[in-house]
Amino acid sequence: MPLPRRLVLCIDDEVVGLQVRKIILERAGYAVLTAPDGPSGLEIFAEHPVDAVVLDYAMPGMDGGQVAAAMRTKKPEVPILLLSAYVSLTPDITRNVDLYMTKGEGAPILLQKLNGLLTGESN
Amino acid sequence: MNLSQLNRILLQTLLIPVVALLFVAGVLALQIRKAEVTVAHMQAASDNISTATRIGQLIVNEENAIRGFQLTGDNVFLQPYSAAQKPLGGDLARLRKGLALQDGDPRMVDDLVLAHDTWHIAFAEPIIQATHNGTDTRDTGLNLRAKAQMDHVIELIARIIYAQQAQRAEAARIWRRQVNQTLEILVALALLIGLAVGINARNRLHQVSDAFQKSLEAVRNNAQLIYESEQRLRTMLTSIGEGIIVCDRSGKVELLNTVAEQLTGWTLATAINEPIDKIFHLVNERTREPLEAPTASFPQLPLTPRAQDGGLIANNPILISRDGSSIPIEESEAPFTDREGKLAGIVIVFRDISEQRRAQTALLATEKLAVAGRLAATLAHEIHNPLDAVSNLLYLLQNNPSPEENAQFLDLASKELDRVSQISRAMLGMYRESKEPVAVNVQEMLESILLLLDVQMRYAQLSLHTDFAPGATVTGYPAELRQVFINLLTNAAESSKPGNTIEVRTEIFVERRRFPRKESRSTGVIITITDTGAGIPVDTLPRLFQPFFTTKGEQGTGLGLWVSQGIVQKHGGTITLTSETDPDNHGTTVAVFLPRGSAVPA
Repeated sequence: MPLPRRLVLCIDDEVVGLQVRKIILERAGYAVLTAPDGPSGLEIFAEHPVDAVVLDYAMPGMDGGQVAAAMRTKKPEVPILLLSAYVSLTPDITRNVDLYMTKGEGAPILLQKLNGLLTGESN
Repeated sequence: MNLSQLNRILLQTLLIPVVALLFVAGVLALQIRKAEVTVAHMQAASDNISTATRIGQLIVNEENAIRGFQLTGDNVFLQPYSAAQKPLGGDLARLRKGLALQDGDPRMVDDLVLAHDTWHIAFAEPIIQATHNGTDTRDTGLNLRAKAQMDHVIELIARIIYAQQAQRAEAARIWRRQVNQTLEILVALALLIGLAVGINARNRLHQVSDAFQKSLEAVRNNAQLIYESEQRLRTMLTSIGEGIIVCDRSGKVELLNTVAEQLTGWTLATAINEPIDKIFHLVNERTREPLEAPTASFPQLPLTPRAQDGGLIANNPILISRDGSSIPIEESEAPFTDREGKLAGIVIVFRDISEQRRAQTALLATEKLAVAGRLAATLAHEIHNPLDAVSNLLYLLQNNPSPEENAQFLDLASKELDRVSQISRAMLGMYRESKEPVAVNVQEMLESILLLLDVQMRYAQLSLHTDFAPGATVTGYPAELRQVFINLLTNAAESSKPGNTIEVRTEIFVERRRFPRKESRSTGVIITITDTGAGIPVDTLPRLFQPFFTTKGEQGTGLGLWVSQGIVQKHGGTITLTSETDPDNHGTTVAVFLPRGSAVPA
């Protein structure tokens, strides 16, 4: 049964990483919007009916934690998956997101976690 | 008691008996004078007695002459009568005067003269006249009257003699009393004066003796104090934790404390009077050339401490102990002077800094780890991001048959992997250390450091402006120099605000020779790093290069600039920092000069 395509917002300052992530998500059947930094990501988040957010933590200016906090004040129901190149993130940061994973864990894990968030199955 | 007091006492002790003796002499003279008057009285009385006796004799002669002439009528018999007339008048006058002088009654003489004159006129002259005339003078009544008159005269004379004898006896009595009195006074005075002089002398001598005792005691106390003071100083010297050597102005050792004995290997007994450079043998740490003995700079004053640093780099004097072992030390020298202000000797204070060196080595390692720790986030970011992209690309490649896309994905993956290897190389450059100094391309080194710091600066929204002089080369240890510039650039980044620009500039420093021969030669490179942060307050500036001083709180080790300065100095370079806190024009510039050195670029 063809479901309506879910809209995912990807925010990352890594140009190549963001581009590749977009292709993978599109091939998995998602509609994907991208933003290279926090402020433009928040704009898209406000304007579009985003179903989920894949957010990078380390970004210039506004980091992933700040972006997630801003999103929670507007649409707290939208699930957020936080990606990080760092091994550990503090509870202050992870409090505002539904899931987090370390970059480099691979595409299958990413897709599985995103799917879980959207179908309400938390792993 | 001072000398003038002592002299006064001596004078008093001499003068008082003299004055007392003069007084006694005065009293004695007075007494003698009184006795002389008494003796004169006695003399006068004796004279009067003899005068009266002679008068009596003359009168008796007169009477005898008158009787003889009366009987015989012969003028020859009358001769004594005539002869008596003249002396009799003189004697009577003398007697009268003598009596008057003796406070006697001159009327007695007047009575005598009257009685004699009565006899003379009433008897003697008429008898002589009558006898001359041949008249009979044997009238019994007349002769009896004459005899009574003569008896009266004789009695008067006897009375005078008796009175004078009484006076003489009285004078003799007085004289004896006076002599006794004088004796008594003499004895009493002798006793009194003797006692007074004795007591006075005793008192004075007691004073002198007390003062002497006090002086003696003070001297003894002083000696005790000096002894205690010396003991105290000696104990301080020996128990102090630093080595101390004292030598005289000719450079002969006078004292070594315990620590100095341990460090030099000489005991005080063997080192005493030895020349200082034999006991305290110093060489330069790097060149191993002997350093001049501290006393070699005599007599120029003041002595300046040897140039030395905190011990971070090897530029301290090395003490060669008696057994030949080398001990790095820190030392200072201080001259001391005698009371005239002339140089009397020199005190050398020094301490073993081996332990400090070991601690510093440990600190250096710590600081190196801290730098690595600060870079860990960058490393994780710069490795995980490309890894993520590569692993996603591999996933796509596995599921995608399109050849054009394949080529694109492979190209992207390859570029991302290059990123990882660049970071890895830059990081390794921090640790791969060479044993010998090598030629370091300054631009390459700075660029690889900036690559490591790129993420940090990007996220802090800082831009970078670089201006590298081509071919700038220095000689040194690359890993250490990287540590320096990572420190300095991290400082610049951490003190900047988003939007600021950090400027990194290199400049080849050319020494300007006063007498150029062929061409000027590059002597080194100046690297300046400028930020536009808040700047460093003036009162903080002097402490920046001290160990454990940090403005970053828990985040900083306080070792960065200290270690950086040590490394730069070890390379023969300098590091200077200027800062401005003016609200309109603030920021900090760090300039590092590194010498070109002699290493040949690979």
